[in-house]
Amino acid sequence: MALGLIVIYAIGPMRANVLNSTYGANYDPNSFFIGQLRSVVLSLVVFFVAFKVIPFKYLQKYSKPIMIAALAMSILLWVLAKMGSSLVRCELGECRWFDFGIVSFQPAEFLKLALVIYLADFLTRKQKEGMTGKWREFWLPLIIICGTSLALVVVAQGDLGSGVALIAIIFGMLLTSGISTRQYLIMVAIVLAGSVFAVATSEHRMQRVDAWVATLTGGESSDSTYHIENAMLAIGVGGLFGVGVGNSVQATGYLPESINDSVFAIMGETFGFVGLFLVIAIFGAMLLNMLKVAEGTVETNSRLFVIGVFSWMAAQVVVNIMAMTSLIPVTGITLPLLSYGGTSMVFIAGALGFVLQLSCYTSREVITNEDISSRRGIRGTHHASRRRNQRNTK
Amino acid sequence: MSQNKTISKIRILRYVILAALFIIVARLFFIQIIEHGQWVAKADEQHTLLETITPKRGEIYMMDDDEPVAVVLNQSTYQVVIDPAVTEKAVIEEVVNKYVRDYAVADLDEVYSEEGLRYAVVAKNVPREIAEEINESGATAVWLKKTNQRVYPEGDLASGLLGFVNSDGVGQYGVEGSLNDTLAGKEGLIKTTADVNKVALSIGNDNVKIPAEDGANIVLSVDRGLEKGVEELAISAVNDTAATNASVLVMEPDTGKIVAMANLPNYDLSNYSDVDDASAYINFTTEVPYEPASVCKSLSFSAAINEGVMTSSTTYFNQGYEIVDDWKIQNAEQRSMLYGTIDMKTALYWSLNTGSIYALKLLGGNPSAINQTGREKLYDYYYNKFRLGQITGIEIIEAEGFIPDPNEGWGRDSVYANMTFGQNLGVTMVQVASAFSAVVNGGYWRTPTIIEGNLVGNEIVPLETEKVEDKILSDETSAMMREMLVNNRNYKVNGGIDRAGYSVGGKSGTAQVIKDGAYDDTMSETVGTYIGYVASKDEMPQYVIMVKMSGEGAYLDGGIASNLFDTVSNYIIDYYKIKPGA
Repeated sequence: MALGLIVIYAIGPMRANVLNSTYGANYDPNSFFIGQLRSVVLSLVVFFVAFKVIPFKYLQKYSKPIMIAALAMSILLWVLAKMGSSLVRCELGECRWFDFGIVSFQPAEFLKLALVIYLADFLTRKQKEGMTGKWREFWLPLIIICGTSLALVVVAQGDLGSGVALIAIIFGMLLTSGISTRQYLIMVAIVLAGSVFAVATSEHRMQRVDAWVATLTGGESSDSTYHIENAMLAIGVGGLFGVGVGNSVQATGYLPESINDSVFAIMGETFGFVGLFLVIAIFGAMLLNMLKVAEGTVETNSRLFVIGVFSWMAAQVVVNIMAMTSLIPVTGITLPLLSYGGTSMVFIAGALGFVLQLSCYTSREVITNEDISSRRGIRGTHHASRRRNQRNTK
Repeated sequence: MSQNKTISKIRILRYVILAALFIIVARLFFIQIIEHGQWVAKADEQHTLLETITPKRGEIYMMDDDEPVAVVLNQSTYQVVIDPAVTEKAVIEEVVNKYVRDYAVADLDEVYSEEGLRYAVVAKNVPREIAEEINESGATAVWLKKTNQRVYPEGDLASGLLGFVNSDGVGQYGVEGSLNDTLAGKEGLIKTTADVNKVALSIGNDNVKIPAEDGANIVLSVDRGLEKGVEELAISAVNDTAATNASVLVMEPDTGKIVAMANLPNYDLSNYSDVDDASAYINFTTEVPYEPASVCKSLSFSAAINEGVMTSSTTYFNQGYEIVDDWKIQNAEQRSMLYGTIDMKTALYWSLNTGSIYALKLLGGNPSAINQTGREKLYDYYYNKFRLGQITGIEIIEAEGFIPDPNEGWGRDSVYANMTFGQNLGVTMVQVASAFSAVVNGGYWRTPTIIEGNLVGNEIVPLETEKVEDKILSDETSAMMREMLVNNRNYKVNGGIDRAGYSVGGKSGTAQVIKDGAYDDTMSETVGTYIGYVASKDEMPQYVIMVKMSGEGAYLDGGIASNLFDTVSNYIIDYYKIKPGA
């Protein structure tokens, strides 16, 4: 977050200048930095609240109302957008934000967290009830919930990036939910086929694919390839050590979405290969640690939650960076904790807070004991560090 | 689900994420390390803004009471520049239609059909007040680039001499064209890293700024008041005769300095493209060689006198014509009183061709025939001494002209006979005026000049150009020629045209024109020329004046030209307040 703050501090004034001169906007040079600083502070608060104040069991308890609230918000957004309400903010024809004047809010981010919470609870319940993999009791409600969520995000809000994150969350959690490999692969194949169909039948999405192919094969530049070419240019110019903070030229209007989806490319220009390697290492460490927490979490619900957050974050990190380096087509997805945007940062921070809370209840012994599947069986809380200390003193 | 299974599934996720991150790092290594140079080159191409800094074009001055006065000035105007990639066509169309419709220079359909275009000038010469309105309108991605436009406080004065600056800022014709490099100055260069809107950034280590060098302010030796007066007289002469064109050259014979150079009719310099005939742009005094006819007798006579083979009293037998190379060359004047033995002074007074042919014969040492020696000597005088048929060295564009070779070609005797009275050769007015100056100024040929110097601050700094001063005739020759030339104008003195107390000498010329490859003997169209000088009585000449009048299908003889000379010579006496001699 601090790194993101530095980058936004350096390129925010450039972004403001470009918007002011090109679109006649009236941004203060520091407005983006102040906005990001506000998001960071709020995220830290949310993180600590999630970590220390709200017990994870409340999430389990209120998973359904949370999911309903998230879906309701997305539906409300869609309805208000259709009505042309001033409470809805639209950019480039896509209406994804509630706008309350000084604060805006993106329901899709809430929906991601809500889906993680809900699926963790749903999959756990079905597992306990022995209904996992059953069509009527398992797949049907799952498809309805997930299908509705995806439809609201991808179709109603035109947010393909969030759609990719939702799919990653769903399949990441399904993988560890106890369904058979066969069923899992069938569902993967169905969703894959559906995705290919959705891309092939959309002119806009096919343009992105064509642009990606053109970039990879050294084809002719066009308006479609502009974004990815300039992202690669920014990264390429960075070289080994980067051009330094405040010296990014690509941020002066050449690279679209320089503070949002393209922030990784600007970081590449600013900090070079060494800087990006460090960023990737931090993300990698964070993600691998989450998997470690998941392995050490005895309670299915908690473990599924951690896997959900892992999948969410991994999808955003990998898809964003791969798009910026032309490994996959551009999808319009933010880089967690680094991109400009308050809602995304706050909800991911909250999710990480809960993961950190759960990491305090992991046990190395428990995961090797197949008979014990709940921390309730261990009686009492077992702080990981305390367990290690106990073991060391033996 | 068993814990082991769960762990193995989590392990899959671990492998997947590790593989993905490894691919990303490898890709980054490829882009940032291996392809780094390639991307830097692309970035340079995209980010570097190369912009020339337009220098201020030098202004042009004339002299007035020994002080320079501007006749060509600069006025700041603006170009409207757009970035078609950033601004929508409709927005630009609105700006053009609302503010700069009269100044538009680009077809927006063409501009927007060109792929990848990031810079286009859509309007030029936009006045400052309109530019300010555009600025205040807040139109996005529209820039205003300051440029200079020429303004002419003296209207169309001396248009043929001054020339103009075209819409690309390049001087055309006249002083503007001839001295374009000096006036234009040197462009500066800004090489800088720029943002997407082409606004220069302070980012970047190899930003370069080479300041522009403004053009020099040039002061012409032309006297503004005299030029104006001479042009008015020339316009009257054109209006009063069948002539459509008149050119006048006024030169100081003791310096070579040109103080008036008129080409009528003038054209509107501010709207130079409105002329019907592009010949209006031409400076006929320097750029067009022609046959000046009998004014050249003053040169052929000078040659023979200077060679010591002839004086003004030398006599010859005039039968009204000469047969040379089986070609009958007649005098224009066939009065019976002129037949028989007459002296050279009389021959010059009546402008007899037989007289100048006789001078050529004397140059060859054989009074009865033209020979090689005579041809070569005349060539030596015309080409080498009087520098006819070659560049004079004046600072503005001039033509070379030609003098036939004395030893080549058929009928060279008749050609050289014709050359003695100014036909069969091609010379410019400034060549003839420079040669005539040498005839009357004591024998010094001097490089004609029209530039007084560069105006630096309030000081005129003379140009460091090489000027020739060549003594080509003896003092005696010059004196004898002056006496004959003044004698030529006895009838003007008697007619009260030349004032008492002044020495005015001159020689007329009526040139046949070539039609269908041969001289038009019907004389239906002729070019009238007169060259002479004005001075206080018995003093050295102060100003040499040459006039030329012509018109399509018009008979214009030396007499008609002399009338214009008369008015100009008297105007000069008044203008410069030349005191009469005793």
